[in-house]
Amino acid sequence: MASERVLYVEGIHTFYGAIEALKGISLEVHQGEIVTLIGSNGAGKTTTLRSINGLNHPRRGSIVFEGNDITRTPAHEIVKSGISQSPEGRKLFPRMTVSENLEMGAFQRTDRLETKDDMDRVFSLFPRLAERKSQKAGTLSGGEQQMCAIGRALMARPKLLLLDEPSMGLAPILVERIFAIIKEINDQGTPILLVEQNAMMALDVASRGYVLETGTVALADDAKALLRNEQVRKTYLGETD
Amino acid sequence: MKEADLVSEAHVQPIRARRDFGAHASQALGILLVLVVLVWLGVNLVKSPNDFGSVFLVGVSQGALYALVALGYTLVYGILELINFAHGDVFMLGGMITASLVVQLFGLGENPGFGILIAALLVSLAAAIAGCALLNAGIERIAYKPLRGAPRLAPLITAIGVSFILQNVAIIWKGTRPVSVPVSEFSAGHGGQLFKVGQVVYTADRLFVLAVTVPVLVGLIWLVKFTRAGKAMRATAQDKDAAAMMGIDVDRTISFTFLLAGGLAGVGGVIFAFYSTEIGFSTGFTLGLFAFTAAVLGGIGNLPGAVLGALLIGLIQNFNEGLAWHSPGSKWTQSLVFAILILILVFRPQGLLGERTPEGG
Repeated sequence: MASERVLYVEGIHTFYGAIEALKGISLEVHQGEIVTLIGSNGAGKTTTLRSINGLNHPRRGSIVFEGNDITRTPAHEIVKSGISQSPEGRKLFPRMTVSENLEMGAFQRTDRLETKDDMDRVFSLFPRLAERKSQKAGTLSGGEQQMCAIGRALMARPKLLLLDEPSMGLAPILVERIFAIIKEINDQGTPILLVEQNAMMALDVASRGYVLETGTVALADDAKALLRNEQVRKTYLGETD
Repeated sequence: MKEADLVSEAHVQPIRARRDFGAHASQALGILLVLVVLVWLGVNLVKSPNDFGSVFLVGVSQGALYALVALGYTLVYGILELINFAHGDVFMLGGMITASLVVQLFGLGENPGFGILIAALLVSLAAAIAGCALLNAGIERIAYKPLRGAPRLAPLITAIGVSFILQNVAIIWKGTRPVSVPVSEFSAGHGGQLFKVGQVVYTADRLFVLAVTVPVLVGLIWLVKFTRAGKAMRATAQDKDAAAMMGIDVDRTISFTFLLAGGLAGVGGVIFAFYSTEIGFSTGFTLGLFAFTAAVLGGIGNLPGAVLGALLIGLIQNFNEGLAWHSPGSKWTQSLVFAILILILVFRPQGLLGERTPEGG
């Protein structure tokens, strides 16, 4: 792997109160990659993202982004360093319009004009959002909300994009569309760390994958290899012999 | 399967019918109540339009004052879902700061000149805004922030505790008897009359209340709607985790909200001191509850709602106390205001302008 390492998570232990949700997770994301985390509910996928984005700091282990240790950096400063996220459940600002939500994505940026360009770029990626731009985000459909959440994350001009369950609750046709867009964003140069329940779709777009089980990394391999892996096929791709 | 559906349908039907009947009955009752009040107001207007006009003007001024305090409740509730019961007492201390300055620094007595009065007003505003803003932010830092993750009841009870502490601070500082603020030159009897329409006299004290409040309210709404800090406040109010992911410093935004709410309470304290010329340690508690009612009436968390609710409470109070024909009188004011609070909480918990939220607030 000759490409440059963007994110390096080393042996993190993260707690929810007294419960140890992550028991020493290590992973890395390289320039240009889509890396996916798959695993069942409660395996620690979302907690891993919350450790990286600063909302739930690990107690042990370290997170290094572009050479800087961000293990204890507060969430609002991590965005400035270049990591942005479309969180689980989308977490839009329901009483703000679509445009306002997108503007919030660029909150920590000061370059007004370029922000405007990026908004146009988001609208060309998601023409649906352009149609709905003055509508309150809380009134959007599930698919539109997901587009808005991804768009909002892009407005930060991330050097690493975290996506948490972008396909959750969406109709199959929309899932295909969202994954096509994820691929497109990646092709334009942004590395992506993708958390998904839909292991098939995720492994299909990803270059590498990690399988999490109860707070540890059970398997780590190339996405193609994981797709062929017997264990993965049975447990996560719903295959019965 | 089919049978089970039919059985449950049969059970649901009468309950739904009863609920419909209940809703219709309370709606009819509500309309009747509003009609009675309108007729009563109409008769009063026809019988003595001058009284009605004066009472209306007093009500608007008083409502504007309530709005300043109500906005503090609504701002803090909007961002933390905390009813800051100490807010009324912060307002009261703003009034006490004013009383001290007016008497001790400016030595205002019987007949101060207009110039010195304005000087005293401006200095009081600056001191009370700064004092109350810092006090309120300090309270948040010490008393509420450590309870951020606790069940909602904990900070609520803490707020009541802080309220008692502030009242006791006022007692130690000023004693239990109300302090007078000798600035009555504003009112009609002392030549403060500005103009007259028929028998309705417009006095300087009322103009001054509006002259201070209206720009403050407009400024606040501008700040929340259009500035960076305001956007950070709105985002934090709607989703704290998401706000942090946008690069918003949530703790700082909450502190800023308390500063702002405290500053508004400070302005309210100055206005109250100048307008009613007397303030005691328990003033903040009573007025605070009225302002809280106003915030709930308008829809707690909703800024224009707080202003609307406050104007309505100001008008209701003054119609109740001041109208000549069959008004219940001042001894009924508290019952009336709190009856409104209960009715709103029961029948329209989201308030007049509030939106229905999933939490039912």
